[in-house]
Amino acid sequence: MKINQLYILGVFALIFGGMQGQESLLSKLEKEQEIPSYEVLETFKGTYLSIGHSVETQKKGILEVSSMNRFWNKPIETSQSFVADKWNARVGLSYAFTDRFTFGAGYGTGYKSVDAYAKYRLFIQQNNGRKSPLSVTLLQTAVHRDKSKYDGGGPLDFSEKIAFTTQVLIARKITPNFSLQIAPTYIYRGEESLIPNESLNRYAVGFGGRYRIGGHVSVVSEYYYVFNEVDFMETYGPFSLGVNWELSDLLLQFKLTNARHFTEDKFIAKTANNFNTRDGNFHFGFHATYVIHFKKR
Amino acid sequence: MNKKVLLIILLAAYSGLSQEASEMIDRQGSINFFSYTSVENIKAKNNQVFSNINAVTGEIAVSILMRAFVFEKALMEEHFNESYIESDLYPRAKFEGEILDFNPSMTGRETKKIRGVFTLHGREKEIEFKAAVEKKKNKYIISGDLELTVKDYDIKIRPILSPNIAETITADFNFEYVPYEN
Repeated sequence: MKINQLYILGVFALIFGGMQGQESLLSKLEKEQEIPSYEVLETFKGTYLSIGHSVETQKKGILEVSSMNRFWNKPIETSQSFVADKWNARVGLSYAFTDRFTFGAGYGTGYKSVDAYAKYRLFIQQNNGRKSPLSVTLLQTAVHRDKSKYDGGGPLDFSEKIAFTTQVLIARKITPNFSLQIAPTYIYRGEESLIPNESLNRYAVGFGGRYRIGGHVSVVSEYYYVFNEVDFMETYGPFSLGVNWELSDLLLQFKLTNARHFTEDKFIAKTANNFNTRDGNFHFGFHATYVIHFKKR
Repeated sequence: MNKKVLLIILLAAYSGLSQEASEMIDRQGSINFFSYTSVENIKAKNNQVFSNINAVTGEIAVSILMRAFVFEKALMEEHFNESYIESDLYPRAKFEGEILDFNPSMTGRETKKIRGVFTLHGREKEIEFKAAVEKKKNKYIISGDLELTVKDYDIKIRPILSPNIAETITADFNFEYVPYEN
């Protein structure tokens, strides 16, 4: 009896010993080398989604040089212009001081606007669920426009020339190809003080998404809804439908939109035309952004 | 009779143990890869590669986390992970094979062929390459380099960027194996 028991034990020990040996080297490695939680890359391709900012910032030491253009026709049948009647542009520079903090500035042809912004990535989505399921970026912009009074009565006061936009950009990369963004927005526009009884504050929310259709090409769309539109003129929520195409260090963004301005306060609060293909409403947008690495790792 | 059974138990236990003892691991192995073209040179390094060997049979395995590759330019790293390797879908590359004609009682340094299946970007491919195998006290050091053809692993490079990325990537590796600690 005793011997039998010992024998069984021996057989077990053999099987067990054999089993230990049977576990492959690779499965042992994979068990030990867990895949850590990483920061999600490229929720959006660019620091601008389409017409507005995205949650993205560049990595430390990267300078972004951007040229933004919008082209549209005047709603007059007799226009003789080649390609487009009107053109609006902004050139911008932004530098990433850290992986999370970017400062940018730009100059726009409309009213010689000078703008600056600071962008801070508060949370970065992690690919391993629980830690941080969303990316959250804070954006503060300021713009100064060289404008005159509507009735031609000389230049505006400084306080009337400035505007600010504060945004909380919240985004999630839902699948490797699909990302969504929602952006509660607060806008202050000094210029509105020219209109009696008009509020200087606007509240809006932005919705944006991108769908990647190829390794370097994605379709993007953006829409802003303004809760308290200005009363003295008809405004429409800016909408954009576009394609982002990435070529190594160059990002090209093409878009169809009703927004003809580049700074948030203006295109969110004061887009005066609806989105359709009629002259005067239809705008073609083209942004080119080039990145320069100042810090090599 | 009793003694015989005891012997079986001991043998069995030992066979399990010895198999364990013959396995060695490196948790900080390094792999660098290079792509040289006239347009752009791309370099990446990874010092967190896991590899183990069976110092009796000559079996070898490697597990590489794709996100652990560090590039000179941050943007290259993003493109590597997002557009080429798709590290969300295929977080690791693996190799499983054996050192051919492995001699467990070797001393010093020998050049050996290693053959096995390499899995990258979810695609498997049988590869064979030469490596220097060195025994130093209770350590094994395996190092060498190999060439990988990008096409074999279904990694798509758009025609417009094909001048920037070499068709064959050179990778070098260095592993120092120590016995599994108990």
